[in-house]
Amino acid sequence: MVELREHEQKTLLALQKLGGKAPVNQIVEASGLAHAAVMRAALSLTTRKLTRIHEQKQTVIKLNEEGKHHAKENLPERRLIRGLLKLGGEASIEEAVKESTLEKRFLTIALGWLHRKGWATIEKKKRVLKTQEEPPIGVDEKLLSLLDEKGSLIVEKLDKQLQDSVPVLRKRKLVRVDEKTLRELELTEDGWKLVEQGIEMAKEVSQLTPELIHTGRWRKVKLRRFDVTAPGPVVYPGKIHPVQQIIQRVREIFLEMGFTEIRGPIVETAFWNFDALFQPQDHPAREMQDTFYLAHPREGRLPSRNIVNAVAKTHEDGWKTGSRGWEYSWSHDEAKRLILRTHTTSVTIRHLAEHKEPPVKVFSVDRVYRNEKVDYKRLAEFHQIEGIVMDRNVTLRDLMGTLKEFYLKLGLRKVQFWPSYFPYTEPSAQSTVYVPELKAWMELCGMGIFRPEVVEPLGIKHPVLAWGGGLERLIMLKLGVDDMRFLYKNDLGWIRRTPICR
Amino acid sequence: MPVITLFRDRFSSSIGRSITVEEMAKWLPWMGLDIEEVGPDYVKVEFNPNRVDFSSHAGIARGYSGLRGWKTGLPEYEMKEGKAALNVDPSVSEVRPYVLAAVIRNISLDYDSVRELMEIQEDLHWGVGRDRRKVSIGVHNMDVVQQPFSYVAREPNAVRFVPLDKTEEMSLQEILERHEKGVGYRHLVDWAPKYPLIIDSKEQVLSFPPIINGELTRVDSWTKNLFIDVTGTDYKAIARSLNVLVTALADMGASLESVNVNYPDRTVVSPDLTPQRMRLRTDYANRLLGLKLSESKVIQSLRKSRLDAKKISKGVLEVSIPAYRIDIMHEIDLVEEVAIGYGYFRMKPTRLATMTTGKQHTTSKKANRARQVMIGLGFTEVKNFILTNRVAHYENMRQKVGGGMIKLANPVSTEYSIARENLLPSLMKNLMDNKHESYPQRLFEVSDVIRINRKTETRSERRLHTAGVSSHSTANFTEIKSIAEALLANLGVKRWDVKATRHPSFLQGRVAAIYVKRRKVGVLGEIHPEVINNFELENPVGAFEIDLKEI
Repeated sequence: MVELREHEQKTLLALQKLGGKAPVNQIVEASGLAHAAVMRAALSLTTRKLTRIHEQKQTVIKLNEEGKHHAKENLPERRLIRGLLKLGGEASIEEAVKESTLEKRFLTIALGWLHRKGWATIEKKKRVLKTQEEPPIGVDEKLLSLLDEKGSLIVEKLDKQLQDSVPVLRKRKLVRVDEKTLRELELTEDGWKLVEQGIEMAKEVSQLTPELIHTGRWRKVKLRRFDVTAPGPVVYPGKIHPVQQIIQRVREIFLEMGFTEIRGPIVETAFWNFDALFQPQDHPAREMQDTFYLAHPREGRLPSRNIVNAVAKTHEDGWKTGSRGWEYSWSHDEAKRLILRTHTTSVTIRHLAEHKEPPVKVFSVDRVYRNEKVDYKRLAEFHQIEGIVMDRNVTLRDLMGTLKEFYLKLGLRKVQFWPSYFPYTEPSAQSTVYVPELKAWMELCGMGIFRPEVVEPLGIKHPVLAWGGGLERLIMLKLGVDDMRFLYKNDLGWIRRTPICR
Repeated sequence: MPVITLFRDRFSSSIGRSITVEEMAKWLPWMGLDIEEVGPDYVKVEFNPNRVDFSSHAGIARGYSGLRGWKTGLPEYEMKEGKAALNVDPSVSEVRPYVLAAVIRNISLDYDSVRELMEIQEDLHWGVGRDRRKVSIGVHNMDVVQQPFSYVAREPNAVRFVPLDKTEEMSLQEILERHEKGVGYRHLVDWAPKYPLIIDSKEQVLSFPPIINGELTRVDSWTKNLFIDVTGTDYKAIARSLNVLVTALADMGASLESVNVNYPDRTVVSPDLTPQRMRLRTDYANRLLGLKLSESKVIQSLRKSRLDAKKISKGVLEVSIPAYRIDIMHEIDLVEEVAIGYGYFRMKPTRLATMTTGKQHTTSKKANRARQVMIGLGFTEVKNFILTNRVAHYENMRQKVGGGMIKLANPVSTEYSIARENLLPSLMKNLMDNKHESYPQRLFEVSDVIRINRKTETRSERRLHTAGVSSHSTANFTEIKSIAEALLANLGVKRWDVKATRHPSFLQGRVAAIYVKRRKVGVLGEIHPEVINNFELENPVGAFEIDLKEI
């Protein structure tokens, strides 16, 4: 004797009542079971060859708002042609529209279709329409009124002519199309045999309740045995965004290495973003194309006069730094302009201006901005990592060593350093790392020692080692994403499926 | 950054020995050049904008020979005394006061070198010339014009000539109005009553700086002798630019001849290729690089970088810098030359001796506490941009633009035109984008918003906010209130008040303000159905937003 569970028994009985073959939703109704329970039963009964499942794809179409409107009022071209006929079959476009009471927004559509259907001729220059007689009702119109009448239709059940008109309405964006799978369950011969023998309903208990426990009744009832291999509903835990997880890891690395986190304004004066970093005011890179300037508020306040004067003089003639400077006349107004910071180095230099006593070891992982067209490898808003060491007697080789340790903690073992250029560091270097996942070298952080023209005007007396770079490329690598925009699309499916990063 | 394609055979002939593509790809990066692409017979490199002298095969070949040790020290340039003169009329002082010039003899140009010549000019115009304002260069076929030349200023309609690449004569005025270069650069001269011109003894126009050259003196591969003019608003900058250009031409095999530039008050013999001199303390270099190089080793390294040096006292060198190295401004720049000549690849990383303990920023700590509570409550974090636009941020939320909005002046995309002052609009957008995902959907963000604050130095402040949305068929006020209160309690807030309020984004009667110590810190409630419609959603949404700075 086959042992059946309660929902399986109910499903079989319902199926028998429905004549041995019925769609799942009818079985749900007849059996009083939940949809999921019927489906579970259907699967287990089918594996035991008591039932068969038939699946059939169905395309359901419905009118959308615009479709309903046209179904009520007739298609725009029909309305226009009727208006035209009322005027004797020849009239200017404006008159025909007026006569037909066609809404303005449908005019181009109406004209386009009049032309395509060949219902009327349009003299473009004079804007005159001509027609002979009312054209017969087209299949598209028939389909439209049928849809209006029935609410929804199953495409596969329509005749061939109507079916061919579905894409026309779809292209005109008048209908909504949904794909559905219709499932039917049918008793097999074995299934029939079983139900004909008669199924005796034994009451089974599925949920163990507090009531059953404290009354002791659980001893008397039959507790249903579960199919432990059956798939349960999927649940998702609350989760930190994958990008944030990597940001956290990078922050941890800095903290492990003894660096202190700093944070500063995102809206910044040009002074701290550019001038304090010895970037000349007339340099093309500072102009509009790369930097977001603010329209409101437009200008900020400059720091104390002695800092501003020293920075200004350094730009103009090198001040006391021994540099020749940029040899132009420095403007306060240009320095006051507010921008969205283009790098976190603005925060670093603010911090150093207030912490001149060595040692200083600080870092930031924070948002920066570039006024660029966004594409798969460029964002207007992204994250920069930056590490800074200021101390007596620190060297370029120390900087290389620090960066090597930083990369090692990120799992990047092979590092190389090349000469490079940044406006506020000298000597400067570029680091490349070997990425085993790509089997290739990749450029990551730039680095260098802050120029005397940067540190001396702020009264900093010791070498400042700095490195930094965009974080997103590293994140893409770690998460296996090849379009940078995707990182901030917040695709819930992706966040739910992405395991916690190691 | 500027890019140059170095062809193997051309590069080999510039160096004077045969170089393989592999050798090029191996050594060029050690000069600070970034390899973009390696082809069968070429290497494409990016050079840093400060090194305009790298904008030609000859310029890179100079450095390459030095680094390989084949030719070290200062390159020598021979300059003959020339007869040509350029007279500077006082009228130019109002509009573009400075000019210098040079003559190049016996140059043999081909299609590639003419193009290269144009690219060097463009790099100089951009980098040193600040897009032609400070410096612009004209290169001319000298054999079709007659010296002495003059640098004069003329009224906009006084002179007509055929500009480069055109066939009809145009007046200066017409060039500014109709010629593409005229339209692009007119702002550099159109404010002046008279415009600058370089003309020859027969009043033929060589160029209308900084706009365009004349067609008459067009340079092609048949051109043998060149006249070069450099004009601008900064004397030092034009002198440096001219030096970069003429040394590159000399390295291409041409000979240089000086021009007497006669200003009203003095005569300048141009160009001036005298090496710049600068001191370098060897211990300064060693201390910063972390090396212990002897004086002679430092000199050797500088020579490999195509500089030269001699010892003038213990630990002090006098360094000679070739005229094309216009990037060297400070002793520190020489330190890098030492490092490059010595070889970055020979510098072993050392372990930093500075020992410190690290500390998180308090704001990060607070943000992470909020994250911990929110994920415990089953919410998933999203990360959105601070940049947004009015429609997404205000209109879709049924909100009016407030006085606290940060507006950008020049965004390239209309999608990003303001900074957000709340997180909730982004979260609503996230719900909209994830309609196809299974419900319930519970999202949160802990991040910054930016608001105007007149009292601060930057007239604005970033504030840490957190916001959450819960969307499913039975989402409601009670649920979101419990969530927000669980967050507050677990962040250690002891007392808060929830009071009825009005808010255009929420349903009236199902929205409340949160107060901590009598300050309003946030809002919670059921999102208004119209807002739900604006985001094309179907399920109800419970939402809250709290300013963590106040907590």
